[in-house]
Parts: sequence; structure tokens; C-alpha cells
Amino acid sequence: MHQSVALRPSLLRSILRVAWRDIKILVRYPTWVISLCVWPVMFPLGYLFTYRALAGPQNEGLSSFVQLAGTSNYLAYVVSGTILWMWVNVMLWTFGGSLRNEQLRGTLESNWLAPVDKTFLLIGAALADAAQMMLFMCIAWVEFYLIYGVWWLGSPWHLGLVILASVPSVYGLGFVFAALVLWAKQIGVAVNLVRGTMLIFCGITYPIAVMPGWMVRVAEVIPLTHAIRATRAVMAGDGLGEIAADLWYLLLSGALLIAAGLLALRFIQQRIRCSGTLGHH
Amino acid sequence: MMSRAKHYLRAAGAIFRRDLRIFFRYPVDAIFWVFEPIMWLTPLHFMSRSFAVGGQNLGLAGYTGTSDYMAFLVLGGVIGSYVSSVMWSMGFSLKNEMDLGVLEVNWLTPVPVVIQLVGRSLFNLTHTTIKIACTMSLVWRIFGFSITGSIWPAFLTVLPMIIGLYGLGLGIAALVLISKNANNIIDMTHFMVNTLSGREFPITVLPKFLLGFSLAIPLTYGYDAIRGLLLGTRTLLPVATEQLLLVVVMAISVFSGYLVFRRIERRCRATGNLAHH
Amino acid sequence: MSVPALVVEELYKEFKVKKKGGLFRRPAADEEKVFIAVNAVSFQVAPGEVFGLLGPNGAGKTTTIKMISTLLRPTRGRVLVHGIDPEKEPTRVLSQIGTVLAGERCVYWKLTGRENLEYFGTLYGLYGQELKERVSYLLERFQLAKRGDELVERYSTGMRQRVSLARALLANPKLLILDEPTAGLDPQSARNLREIILELKEEGHTVLLTTHYMEEADFLSDRVAIIDHGKIIALDTPENLKRGIRQTRVVHLEVQEWQDGVGNNLRAAGLISNYVPAYDGAARAWRVVLHLGGETTVGAVLAAYLEMGNGILNFSVEEPSLEDVFIQLTGKSLRE
Repeated sequence: MHQSVALRPSLLRSILRVAWRDIKILVRYPTWVISLCVWPVMFPLGYLFTYRALAGPQNEGLSSFVQLAGTSNYLAYVVSGTILWMWVNVMLWTFGGSLRNEQLRGTLESNWLAPVDKTFLLIGAALADAAQMMLFMCIAWVEFYLIYGVWWLGSPWHLGLVILASVPSVYGLGFVFAALVLWAKQIGVAVNLVRGTMLIFCGITYPIAVMPGWMVRVAEVIPLTHAIRATRAVMAGDGLGEIAADLWYLLLSGALLIAAGLLALRFIQQRIRCSGTLGHH
Repeated sequence: MMSRAKHYLRAAGAIFRRDLRIFFRYPVDAIFWVFEPIMWLTPLHFMSRSFAVGGQNLGLAGYTGTSDYMAFLVLGGVIGSYVSSVMWSMGFSLKNEMDLGVLEVNWLTPVPVVIQLVGRSLFNLTHTTIKIACTMSLVWRIFGFSITGSIWPAFLTVLPMIIGLYGLGLGIAALVLISKNANNIIDMTHFMVNTLSGREFPITVLPKFLLGFSLAIPLTYGYDAIRGLLLGTRTLLPVATEQLLLVVVMAISVFSGYLVFRRIERRCRATGNLAHH
Repeated sequence: MSVPALVVEELYKEFKVKKKGGLFRRPAADEEKVFIAVNAVSFQVAPGEVFGLLGPNGAGKTTTIKMISTLLRPTRGRVLVHGIDPEKEPTRVLSQIGTVLAGERCVYWKLTGRENLEYFGTLYGLYGQELKERVSYLLERFQLAKRGDELVERYSTGMRQRVSLARALLANPKLLILDEPTAGLDPQSARNLREIILELKEEGHTVLLTTHYMEEADFLSDRVAIIDHGKIIALDTPENLKRGIRQTRVVHLEVQEWQDGVGNNLRAAGLISNYVPAYDGAARAWRVVLHLGGETTVGAVLAAYLEMGNGILNFSVEEPSLEDVFIQLTGKSLRE
């Protein structure tokens, strides 16, 4: 018991330290801030225009979409999917990749030499990243409203709840991913693999009902699918009752992913200690 | 003069072999690289499915004259791959070399930097072409599409476009040299150019102010002409006019890209920005 | 009179230094400072000579070398390599010099030693049979032949450094430029490399090398330029440089405790002209170099030191080295 008390201040300090460092780096590279604000608006553009082209000049194709998605508002449909996907995407690069970067620079070893439980360091970093990303998501929603006129019918608090409920699963994935990257020593392929899978399966830009049955079953396992579905439901005006199942799934899968991620990292740490490839490229 | 040209050709060949070897020393990347386009294509395929009526994209036909969205998309993907290939090989690889610490050593050899850049993108072009062949056959098996026109006129249209892209690539290389954190700027321009030039959709769906941008990008006419030639879509301008336009743009872009790069290279030698630690 | 292998005349390099602003503050324009990395450096290297640039880290050695090998443009001044100006004909200069830059990351780690050499060889204009033979010869010569077909990432630091040196020798250039060639090497590898450099000299190569190891400069160089804060503060043969301070006797003390106040008192009393203390962690003791002034005897200094209530673990009287020349000129040690 007394041990966790002893660790609490260092947890708090490490979160603040990491957040402060990240914000400082952000401000040093203004292009990064700009891009975080510009990407949410820019990224759905291609999909939006593709939708428009597929719908046709006289909306020849739209009836099929309405049947599958239950809405004709493909604008809201796409931005809600892409914003969550971008969150995962940025998380993979910055948070998931941060350990790899430190491995390359050799600072990973010095961090691991610090007398703090690595788990707390990681959770601190995850919370710092999540706080930053939520700020950017708020900005993105404002931009969606101003530029695309997208607004939600349900309560904004419910939307916030969906996002909060997604945090554990997103960063649980981040832990697993970080372990994968430390082990495989390559981030590019790993990021593409994970985000590509999500882009294909999670129904980010289309109703998953259009996929073959086995793909739908895969989609149902991935937490992001539930996050997107709940977001869309809130935007369409659904209440807590309708999204409860998705929220529970998000929390449960989040807990599992975090546990799995921490285990994987502990395993990798052991392995690296044996093989001594911590600072190796 | 002749011997110098031969020397440069051999140097380009050596760079080609170097990149080829290094490429195969990252086996995971090499395997993954064929599947990457599938990850881009699949969501768009399902999107088109969710709008299909009786398996036909009538909406698309209303805009372009073809209801085969996959064929439309695959051609967009092919050209898009060449665009990225040149941007990557000219711009990002330079930064990569900087980070590896081998940039200066290459600049110490008596081969002009521009030649070195061209050499490295020769490798990239080849590797993109092979990649395209692989993915096209994969996509054809998984999703199915059909191309009706003949290949050669389309090839002759692509050629000046790719050469023109080198000019742009040199500009990007220059940007990478002066800006330590150019990735974001390049990413954004790359994305906007790819989106607005109509890689994934007919640009006629764009709102007026974006259409203006789109028509100002020479690539737009490349995509358009090739789809016109191979799929029989309605083109923005007569195909011959679009081809002429591509040739003119090629000349301007290569010339100005070269000049810009030379200036920035000189600047870097003055400020000592080459080493990157 | 033959053309000098290298002429450097009044060479300057200035960098604009931008201060990093605070979190929400941009640095003001007047905070831009000009940093003079190389300040009016001039020297000539004769064909066949080994010329050493000796100085601490950050003295401007690497900047000078980069200006000679076309990677940096001088702010002012002139460089001539075998009579050719790198500003006017960079590729001609590049094909006549072989430069080894500091650090082991100058070759591709994902290529083998042989592949690296073949690649760079082609860039230096070799091809076909000639290239193959040259690469094999260099691998053999630098004891890399056995492992020539292994990836460089599996090499030791010393082997990587030898690949770098082989790379510089591909075109058999008359002028070799070596930036800190032995930095980071273990003593054995460093000794091997120094021997190779002497062999190269015997084969008629001109060598310009930078180092912050005074033994190395002393051992290898025909002439040495001592450089500090971008300026050459002395230039001569190692013997002449040392002879210049021959009347200075050098005492090395090994003591348990050291306070700078003691050194200052000795200097104030006119017993010593300079002192440089360094803590030796392994021996858990201070090693202090004392330069004795004018007529002082070793006995007088030691007596004064003991009188102040200090103990001495060990002491020795040494011949002045290049290090002592540097201390004499700058009042500090090379390794600071």
C-alpha cells in the first residue's frame, strides 16, 4: 500500500513533465500545430467529393446509401468517422512511436534507468497525449460546424462521454502497438498495418453492412467500430440508452487492451534485457 | 564531355543498385509495399458499393460517362503512385540520408547533387512500376474492373507528366533542405494536390472555388486525359489539348525546379545546414 | 617550386545564431548573434606532408575541413586545392581529395563493406574491372577482406572507420582529409589507424588531419597548427613548438585534494605560470599539471605547496608536450 503512495507524486510529475515537454515541442514546430488544425477539415474532403460523385448529379445512387446507413447526411457520416480514425492515427505515430524514437536516440535506456515504474511513465504519457488530442478534437468539431455546417442532434455531453469511453481502448492499443514497434524496430509498416486495418474494417467512411459477413464480424471486435457507431448515434439524436452497449464494449475492451499492452511491454522489456538490444537500431 | 556523361550515367546506375539493395534489406517493408495500395482502395470500393444500384454506379456515370468506379479509381491510383514516387524519392529520401548521416559523404563525391537525385528516383520509378503491376493484378482479381482503350497513347501522355513531376520534386527537395520540419507542409500539399486533381473522383463535383484550384493543377489534365483514353470518359478539354498542356508544363517545371534547387543548395553550403544531428 | 597541395588564405566562416524563444515569445531581431567559427585561418600544406590541426572540440577544425572539401562556403577567404578553387570547380576538387568525416555513420549500414565501396567507387568515376580490383585491394589492405561481404551494421567501430578511410582512398587522391580519424576508437584500433596514416604518407599522399589528441598530432604530423576559438594560435613542427617552451619545466602532481586557490597562490607567488587540474575518477585523485615559471626550481614549488598544508601522492617532471604548448598558449587544457 505504502508503495503506491510513494509513487503517486512521481506519476503526477511525470504526466506534467511529459505534457509540458510535448507542448513545448509543439510550439517550437508551428507547422505541426497548423497541421493538427487543418487535417481534420482536409482529410474528409476526398471522401466527401467521392460521395458526391457516387451519388450522382441527380442523386441516382443515394437511395442505396440511405437504406444501408440510415441517413442521407453523408457529410456528418464521414467527418464523425474520420475524426476518430485520425485520433488513432496520430496516437500511433506520436505516442506509439515515441518509444521507438527514444530507442533510436538512445534515450530509452536512460529513461528505463530512472527509478520509476515504467507502467506509470507510460500511463502518464498516454494521459498527456489524450488531453492534447481532446483539445484538438474540440477544435475539429468547431471547424466541422463552421466549414461543413455539421452539428449534432444529441447532447454534446454524450459525445464527450463517447470520446472519454474510447480513451482506454485507444491507448491500450497504443501500448500494444508500442511493444510491437520496440520488438519489430520498424514503425512505418506497423502504423500502416494498424491504421489500414481500421480504415477497411471499422466503417469509417461507409456502413459496415456493405461488407461481406466475415468482415462484419471482424469489425464488431474492433473497439473503434463501436466508438464510431456511438458517435454517429449521438449525432443523430439518440440518447444514452441506445449507445449503452457500445460504451460498455469500449470500456471492457479498453481494460483488456491496456492489460495486454502492459504485459506485452513488460515481456519485451524482459526480452530486451536478456538480448541487450535496447539501444540497437 | 562524353566521358563525363558516361560517368554520370554510371553513377546513376550505382545509386539505383544501392537503393535496390537497401530496399531488400528491409524485407517486411518490401512485402508490405504491395498491399499498401489495397488498403487505400478497399474503403473506396465499399463506398462505391454502398452507392451502387444493381452493381452499377449510375451516379458516377451521370458525371463521367462510366459506371465502373473501380476502373476509374485504379487509373487514379496508378498516376497517384507515380506522383508520390517522385515526391518521395526527391524530397523525403534526402531527409532520410541527412538523418542517417550519409548525405554529406554523397555530396563529397564528384557527381552533381541533381544527378544523384535523378539516379535515386530512377530506382523509385522502376519500383513503383513493378508495384503498380502487382497491385493492379491483385485488385483485378479481388474487385474486378475493365479497361477498354489502348495503352500506348496513355503511356505517351504519362511520360511528360512524370518528367514534369521531377521539376516539382526538385522544388520539394529544396524545401526539405531549408526546413527542418517540412514533412507537414509536404504532406498537406501532397494530399491537396492528390485530392483536388481528381485521383478519386471527377473534379466536376467540386464547388466552384475548389474547381478553380483543381483546374490550375496540371496533374488534373493528366488524370483526365488518361481516363478519357482508357475508359472513354468525357474529358474537360479535348485530349490532344490536354497532352500539349502537359508537355508545356513539363518544360517549365523542370527548368524552374532545377534553378530553385541550385539556389537552395548553394544556400545550404553557406549556412552549413547539411549535417543534421 | 611545386604547387602546394593545399593553400588556405584568410579563411573566415560566420554563422548567424538564432536564439530559441520562450514558449510564447519570439526572439527579437537584435538577439541574432554572429558566431565566428573560423577566424582568419591561413596555412599551406606541401605535397607529401602530414599537416595536423590540433585543438579542443568546437575550435573550428571541422568547419575548416568542410570549407576545404566544398561542403561549406567560406564567408571570406580562399582555398586552393592543387591550385584549383573549390568555389569555382567543385567537382574537379572533389575528384582530387578523399575526405573522411567524423563519426561512424558515413557509410550505409544496410550495405556490405564491399557494396559500399563499389557504390562510392562508381561515384568517383571508377567502373568495370578497375573498380572491382580497386575495391578488393582496399578491402585487403585495410584487413576487411574476410568480412567484406557482411553488412556494415555488424562491423565494429574500428572496422567502420577503416571502411570510411577505404572510401576516401577509392580514387587514390593525392590529398587526404581526415576529421578526427581516431575519435571513439579503442587504443588498439587507434594505433593501427595511425600506422596506416603513416604508410599513406610514405606512399606520397598529402594528409590534412584534425585531432584533439596531442599525442596523435605529435606522432603523425610534420607540422601542427594549434587552433582555438577559430584562430590559429601557433603553427610549426611539433619539435619547434615544444622547443619554444623548453625553458618551461612541467611538473605533474598527483594529489588527494585540490583547490584552485592553491594554484592561484602559487601563481601569485611567481612560482608557476600555469596550472591545469583534472580529476581522475579511476585513481580517485587529482592530476595537476604545473608549468614552472622562469628561474623557479622544482624543489621550491613543492616546498611551497607542502607548506600550505597539502599532501602529495606522487609527482614527476616531464618533457613539455604539445599539450603543454596548448596550456601555455591558452591557459587551459585540450580536453576541457
